[in-house]
Amino acid sequence: MSKATNSPKKPPSQRKDVVRAEKLQAGYGTKSVCGVASFSLQSGQALALVGPNGAGKSTVVKTVVGQLEAVSGTALIHGVKVDDRTLDFRREVAVVFDDDAFFPALTVEEHLAIVSAGHGVEDVEEVIASELEFFGLKALATSRPYNLSSGQRRRMLLASAFVRPRSLLVLDEPEQRLDTAMRHRLATRLRAEVDAGLALLVVTHDPEFLTTVATKALFIADTVHPMTPAQAAAAIASENPHAE
Amino acid sequence: MTMQTSQRFSAREIRQYTFKVGLSRTEGGIMELVSEAYTFVLGGLTLLTMAGAIIVGLRNSLGVGHVSVLNASAVAPGFHSVTLLQASATVLLTLAAALLAVEMTVGPITMTVPQTAWWLGLPVRRRGFIQPGFLKSLVWPAAAAVVVVVPMALGMAAEPSPGRIALATLCGIGLGWLLFGIAAWCQVTNSGKWVKNLVGVVTLVAPLTLVATALYNNDAGASAITGAQTAWLEYLPTSWPLLVAGGAMWPLVMVLFALLLLAAVWWNLERITTAQLKASAAAGAYVAGSLMSMDASELSKSLGGGASSGTSRVRLRLVFHGGTVFSRSVKTLLSTHATMALRSPVSLLRVLVLAAIPASLAAVEFLGNAVLIAVVLYLCAHFAATSLGATARFANGNPAVDMLMPLPARIVRRVHYVLPAVGMTVWAAVCFGLLLALGVGSPSLLVLAVLAGPALGAATLRAAFRPAPDWNMPAIASASGPIPTGAVRAFLVGPDLTLISLLPVLICLISGGVPFVAFPAQLGLTLLAFAWGTHVRKPKSAKSGGLFGLPPVPVEK
Repeated sequence: MSKATNSPKKPPSQRKDVVRAEKLQAGYGTKSVCGVASFSLQSGQALALVGPNGAGKSTVVKTVVGQLEAVSGTALIHGVKVDDRTLDFRREVAVVFDDDAFFPALTVEEHLAIVSAGHGVEDVEEVIASELEFFGLKALATSRPYNLSSGQRRRMLLASAFVRPRSLLVLDEPEQRLDTAMRHRLATRLRAEVDAGLALLVVTHDPEFLTTVATKALFIADTVHPMTPAQAAAAIASENPHAE
Repeated sequence: MTMQTSQRFSAREIRQYTFKVGLSRTEGGIMELVSEAYTFVLGGLTLLTMAGAIIVGLRNSLGVGHVSVLNASAVAPGFHSVTLLQASATVLLTLAAALLAVEMTVGPITMTVPQTAWWLGLPVRRRGFIQPGFLKSLVWPAAAAVVVVVPMALGMAAEPSPGRIALATLCGIGLGWLLFGIAAWCQVTNSGKWVKNLVGVVTLVAPLTLVATALYNNDAGASAITGAQTAWLEYLPTSWPLLVAGGAMWPLVMVLFALLLLAAVWWNLERITTAQLKASAAAGAYVAGSLMSMDASELSKSLGGGASSGTSRVRLRLVFHGGTVFSRSVKTLLSTHATMALRSPVSLLRVLVLAAIPASLAAVEFLGNAVLIAVVLYLCAHFAATSLGATARFANGNPAVDMLMPLPARIVRRVHYVLPAVGMTVWAAVCFGLLLALGVGSPSLLVLAVLAGPALGAATLRAAFRPAPDWNMPAIASASGPIPTGAVRAFLVGPDLTLISLLPVLICLISGGVPFVAFPAQLGLTLLAFAWGTHVRKPKSAKSGGLFGLPPVPVEK
């Protein structure tokens, strides 16, 4: 039996970088989509990437987790150059993008079972039941994904990141398609997990979500600026006066 | 985030779990199974009949078989201008390039989109996920080789013994696997973009050389390109299976090369990245969707894989003043459809090329067989019709756009009919005009084909607005996983009306004459096709004549 653990509550000086990006330029082929980013993320920290639509936030995240080749610079996870083909990477890093793709014949709980059992979780049924409860999907456990609403499918995708061990969680606009109550619960939960040692890299457009969850922020545009969560929330709000 | 973990499942166990749970949930009744089996059998018989017609046609044209009225040449004497050798070598080269292009786009090593989303993040060795698919995928190039090589070898070999045909087929399978191996190696090593560009050019240019030769030779007289001048074409590696059919053994070395390359790929399977697997899964889903719609434009786009520039210089007037709201709306819709068509010049070019293919077949020595031309005509007509159906398909997928117009659904559907009807009428005129120029048919047949044009436009609409398979209905178990009820039947909606629309023309082409009764028959069929193709299916809940069950918007006259 093994445990996938983090290193919670260590003093900042003793924490190791979970993510380190050095002069990272994200893009497609040789064409970069945003400025050069250098940042680090340690366990017990949540880094929020903010910026206008099309600024390149998701591209940066995809590059950090190895789904895109960097135009230049490097991204390291746990000190190793990112390679999502390695078992260690997949054991440690949970990634949720907006992949609205499901097995048509499998139910919600069976999808989650694949993830949980695939990661070797011992008490699969218990863990899944708990996450279904948290994400408000208990009554839909035996439904097929394409019979769910868009928001419910989003909850299911997010649940898939919580039914498995992880030391780094990467979320791309997790607030999308969630109702206000669910956003709040998710933000509170994430903050608690970050406080317990999780490293969280999140792209968001929601100032309230950001201020609840993030410990630091990065404004992505033609140039990249580090910010405090409060500054980032203000930047988002000034761009989007109608944001919740 | 801290969880007790123990022995992880293997990729094989996860794959089997996913597959078995999916199959266990299929609920289709015996009637659904019978219905699907019926469609498969019918489709299979149609393919066999077509293949049989091609083989018999080839053998009779070569004088190897027994000649009947049906197999008589449809081409007037003196019009055969491309040698069979050049034609077969060109066809094989084109098919090989197309196969390689397809494999390089969808990826020989592939997964489905849900598999990439739910399996690739698991900390298990990926070989267990991708190896079975890789090995099973070897069946497709082999099957493609059999389908292409067996009829060609049977048709072209002077003494087609079973052993010789088997060896030629083996060589063809080797060629298919070699192409598969090249594509797989490029995928594993993330290289070979130039190969894809090259085969794309070959796929486009090779058939054009055939048409160009036919056009040149018809006017060149004594300076026409001869068979001796094109004899080198049979030594292209893509023609090696035909050399084996002719008695050579050395081309079988290709099988050894293919096996060595496949072994190298198999050894390196796990080098493939998540990004590549996701890209090929997305491309595969796009290709499967376009195959289901039998849509030449979408299929071409899906296999091309190139991103659109997103800009166009074509600007037509979309806002009209004067007249009634009704007429302004109709004009706007028509202008929108014309804009969409003109912004896709490649599609229009494809329609023209499809109009030239039956004529180029008729130009090939020994291939001016009426049945062969009829089969190719039908296929080209269908693909041309679907190429002109882009706006209608878009409207079917995005009904909200049509709902913006204050027009009843019936009128909107008829406006959608205009562009394909005009386009297919022009297509019929060009296609049968070229055939006539190359000695096939008669002016009466040309007139009959033009009368069928509007009916082909209706077939475009029927294909574009076909109902999608209902994924909420009970699924049916199949060897490749659960499939929704009626998926295969949906495939035939559209091609059926193309065939019905062309029946009088095809019968007259094969029989060699156009009786007067054919004209009223074709007119009747065209009217029937119009009514059928422009019919708007009402949703069960709809009680009004409005769009999609909504009450019609009052129209200001």
